[in-house]
Order: sequence, then C-alpha cells, then structure tokens
Amino acid sequence: MLVSVLNGFSIGFLLFILAVGLSLVFGMMDVLNLAHGALFLVGAYLGAAFSGAGWGGFLAALGLAAVAGLVAGGILSLMTEPLRRRSHLDQALLTLGVAFVVAELLYTVFSDDPLSVLAPPGLDGSVSVLGAVYPTYRLALIGVGSVLAVVVYVVVERTRVGALVRATVADREMVSALGVDNRLVKAAVFAVGSLLATTAGVLGGPIYGARPGLDAYVLILALVVVVIGGLGSVRGALLGALIIGQVDTLGRVLLQGVEGAASFILFASLAVVLVLRPQGLFGGPVGMSR
Amino acid sequence: MTEHPAITRRRLLGLFGAAAALPVLSACGSSVGGASGGATTGGGGTVKVGLVVPQSGVYAALGTDMTRGWELWLEQNGGRFGDRTVETVIADEGETPQTGVPAVQKVLQSDAVDVVVGLVNSATALGVGDLLTESKKLLIVTNAGAADVTGKARTPYIWRTSFTNAQVSSAMGTYLAQSGLQGGVYAIAPDYVAGTEVIAGFTAAFVAGGGTVVGEAKPAFGKTTDYQPFLTAIQQSGAKATFCFFSGAEAITFVRQYTEFGLATTIPLFGSGFLTEGSVLPQQAETALGVQTTLHYSDQLDNPANAAFVEAYTAKHGESPSCFSVQSFDAANVLNRALSTATALDGDSLATALGGVGTIDDSPRGPWTFDGQSPRQNMYLRKVEDASGTLVNAVLADLGPQSQPA
Repeated sequence: MLVSVLNGFSIGFLLFILAVGLSLVFGMMDVLNLAHGALFLVGAYLGAAFSGAGWGGFLAALGLAAVAGLVAGGILSLMTEPLRRRSHLDQALLTLGVAFVVAELLYTVFSDDPLSVLAPPGLDGSVSVLGAVYPTYRLALIGVGSVLAVVVYVVVERTRVGALVRATVADREMVSALGVDNRLVKAAVFAVGSLLATTAGVLGGPIYGARPGLDAYVLILALVVVVIGGLGSVRGALLGALIIGQVDTLGRVLLQGVEGAASFILFASLAVVLVLRPQGLFGGPVGMSR
Repeated sequence: MTEHPAITRRRLLGLFGAAAALPVLSACGSSVGGASGGATTGGGGTVKVGLVVPQSGVYAALGTDMTRGWELWLEQNGGRFGDRTVETVIADEGETPQTGVPAVQKVLQSDAVDVVVGLVNSATALGVGDLLTESKKLLIVTNAGAADVTGKARTPYIWRTSFTNAQVSSAMGTYLAQSGLQGGVYAIAPDYVAGTEVIAGFTAAFVAGGGTVVGEAKPAFGKTTDYQPFLTAIQQSGAKATFCFFSGAEAITFVRQYTEFGLATTIPLFGSGFLTEGSVLPQQAETALGVQTTLHYSDQLDNPANAAFVEAYTAKHGESPSCFSVQSFDAANVLNRALSTATALDGDSLATALGGVGTIDDSPRGPWTFDGQSPRQNMYLRKVEDASGTLVNAVLADLGPQSQPA
C-alpha cells in the first residue's frame, strides 16, 4: 500500500509539471491548447531516442525537449493570436489539428511500436523505503516535481514577471496602455507552458515509455487536473495533480478485477468536483477573469 | 477524442501498407538463395519459394532472423532441395493482415511460387487459408503461434515449423506443478489472443499437475507501461511465483519494473521463452538475471547440430541466432526432405510428402517430428545467466517432447 501511495505521488508530480503549463495557458492566456499532450509525446520520444546513453543522453534529451518546447510554444502562440477574439471551440479545433499533425509525424518517424525508456545511471536501481522496495528514479521525480512546483509558484505569485502575467490576464488593454506588448507576454507564457510539457515528457519516459496514443491519455489526465484544481491556479494544479495521481494509482490497485473501474473513479471524482465546486478547488477571480 | 486518433492512425497504416507493397511489387524479379541462378541446373528443374516475412514494422527484427536462417540452410546445402534448384522471392509481410495477406497473394499470383514460407502474425496465417486452398499451394508457417492455424482452422496446405502459444506455456505449467513449489502462482499476460492462449495453456497444465493459480491479470496490450498496480496486486495475492508472457518493449518494461519494485528477490519470475529471447535480453540487462522460461530452443543447447549452426550463424552475422532463425532454417530442412519423395510441386503432393518426413534428426533444436501439421518437439527450461559479461538463456533441463495441446 505504501508503494501505491508513493507511486501516486510520483505520478502526481509528473502530472503537475504537465498540467501547470496547460493551466497557465488556458487560465491566464485564455487559450485552450489541445496540442499540450502532443508536446508531452515529443518529449517522451526524445527521451526514448536518447535512452540508454547515460546521463549525457538524458540531459541532451532534456535540453532538446526544452528548446523544442519553447519553439513550439512560440509558434502555437502566433497561430492562436488571430483567434484571440473567437470562441474556445475555434482554438480547440486549431490546436487539435496541430496535435494530430505532430502525432502522425512522430508515428512516421518512430512507427507504432511502444518504446521503453531507461532511467539514467544511478537512478535506475531501487531503494528501500520503510521496508518497501521502490524505484529510485520515481523518488527522484517526486523531488524534482516539488522543486519545480515551488519555482513556478514563486515566479507567478512573487515576482515582477509573474505580476505582469497576472496583470495581462486581468486587463489586457490597461497593460497595453502602460507600454507593454501583451502579445509578447502571451508568447512567453505559451513558450514556458510548452517547455514544461516537453520536459514532463522526458521525465515521464522511464515510467510511461513512448507510444502512439500516449498524447491523448496524458492530455485527458491534464485536463481533469486543470478542471479539478481550477484554471490558472498553480496551487490548484498542484493539488489537482496530487489528487489525480493518488486516485488513479489506488483505484487501479484496489479495483483491479473490475473492468474500467479505475477510469470510472477518475471521472467520478471529476464529476463530484464539478457539481460541488464548478470553478475548481482553487479557481478564484484569476481563473474567472473573463 | 480518444477514438479519433486511432481511426486516422489505422487508416494511415493501411496507406503505409499499400505504399510498402509498391517497392515489393516493382522488385518482383529480385531473388536470393539459388546460388547458381540458372533455371534448369541438373535434372530436376527449379522450385520457386515465396519467403513472406516482416521487413518493416514492429516485427522487422524477427523477419531478419528468419531470412538469415533460411539463407544459411540454402548456403550450406548448395541452394538446392533434392535435385531442384531453389529460387527464393522475398516479400514484406509488414505488421498486420492488411499487409501480410496481400503479400502472400502477390507471391502466389504474380510470382507464381510453388511454396510459401514465413508469416509472423497469426491473424495473417489464419487469413490466407482460402488463398492457399484455391491455388492448392503449400504454406510452411515459421512463427505464427495461434492454435487455430493447425487446429480449428486447419487446411491440408498449412504446416508449421515453429510452435503453438500454449505448447510453450503448458511445458512451464507442468514443470512448475512438479517442482515442489509451495503456494500459488500469479499469471499475467497482455489481453490479446497470444496472451490469452499462453495463460490458458499454462493454467490448464499447472492445475492438472496439482498447482493453484491465485490470481490473474491481463494488462491492456500495447497501452500499459506502468505495471506498478499489477506488481502490487501480485505482492498482495500471496503468490509464491509469477508466470508471465510479454514480448518486445513490454517484455523489457515488465522485467525491469519487476526487479525495480523488489519482486524479483521475493517472488521468482517464470515465463514463456519469448520474454527473454533475442534482442530484448541485452536491454533488460541484469534485471533479467534468474528469470526462468520455457522454449523449444536456446542458442546454448548442447548438441552437434546446434553447435555447427550457432558457429556458422555467428561467423556470418556477428550475433547469436534466435528461435526465429531456427524456425526458418528447419522450414528449408523439411522442404528438402519432402521434395526428395514428392512426385510434384502442388500442395497435395507436398503435404503428403511432409506427412512422411518422419523425425527431423539434424535440427539445432534437437530431434522433432510433425504431429498433425505442427511440431512435436522438446521443450527446454532456461534460466537467464551471466556468461562472462553476456547474458544468455542457459539450459537447465530438457522437459521432453510435447505436442500441440488439444
């Protein structure tokens, strides 16, 4: 049971890294980016391509993924700019199209064989936690995830840059009148959000591997996290991700024999949150800025 | 939203299959094997063989091993079956019946081959039955392990030199039941046809021998990468051993996680031989040490035929042969034997001749015979060991001859 709880945490933190980008872009910039899962998959395949090449390979995958994420975020921001005043559905269609194109490109390059990714040396063993054996890499993921959570929180809530981002969300025109190009702010948030998605893909490689269809799977998990946590809230994304990590893992272990029970519990918890608190656990004035 | 990508992907796969078939069609004339190349060398003329194996997709590595085994036999025997020169036409089976069935159709119709050899995918092997019956040509299956190929869907024209899924796993079931293992076994395999047949074969033999299966799980095939929930369930079931079947990337992931979550030291892992066969073993690395499996072959088998086979194969390709190489090597061997007595090259004459080949006594896997149209062959208990830096499937025991389970 302890192993399941630990696993819930490591998957939860991984989901946080993925979902916080989606939450920032959707909640703050008001763009529904359905290509977010495809960005994760790009990172996962980069990790697979460099798998087994030691720390050099792992870091190279992380670096390339970061660059790919920044570039992709910039491009997505440009593409969605003309749709800024249109409905979410138009943005969803555009980004969904991008997601399909990316997924098919990855399929053409890597075929549809599920790939397995090795953890970097030193982290590929296991350690004993209170008598239970647990893979070192997943423990490290919990650590990396908590550090990233603190960094993102501090940047968004406690720095000038974060204040600028929040101001852009609250009143675009006013920020613009103060002499700041709000398209740049949007592009920057988009780029960083996408970078977090591709990074999550590389970090998640040793757990999820890389395979076609993984993009849709993680996108749905991330959307559930964002809805539960509340749009545009870093704290919400963190709490939502940790809850979903536990629900998903424990659900699978406790209800193993029941077909589809794990995903039922996942979406049932989503439904409960939607009924009791439609704006999400931490969805406040920021998320509802429109 | 989850459905949509799957549909486009499948459609795209179809297009890719069609695209992959084009170069094959245009390369009709390409042939390998037939060392002399002449159409009428000696008195017997030629026999034209269509070797249909995967050259692209997930199973491409198996296709390579099979082509090598086939070519090695021909090379060692002057490129001839009896007094006939062999001309081989290779076609790409691809991954699925959508590519495999047209490939068989192509070698039968446009290349007018006398015999078809190959097929990795069971669905393809089941899908070409009518084609062969119509054209009255013989097919020797060199992998596809579904029971129905030579069972329920049997036709006189389809024979097999490989194995059946349940044949391999029932050997492990019988062995574990007799091994004096105290306590139950947990069985786990992906939820597709091969996985189901493997588990059913294992369970039937294990229970018949007095064993108990305390739990069973079927992770989604091709979609499961985190086995932690299943591993926790295995620990909670109180099982004293785990029996599993995975292949490819899933075999790598499962074996690695089984060790990472600490199960390997407390609940020993057993499996169908494909778990640790061929290219997956180096990637599982030391996490595979101690895993025990059953299979009809190991490159470590100690018999003169295998020693010569491994030496020739390794000298040529720089790596050890797999069971897939042996399966096509033996296909050439049985065809040679059949052609020495067959009166003609049609399916009926060849099938009759194959029925009378008796014991194949010079196979690297050890002597075997046809029982019906599938091999009755020895199963070996193998254990992954470190042989001076290289991981190998060391042979622990010969579990004796086994037929395709009913």
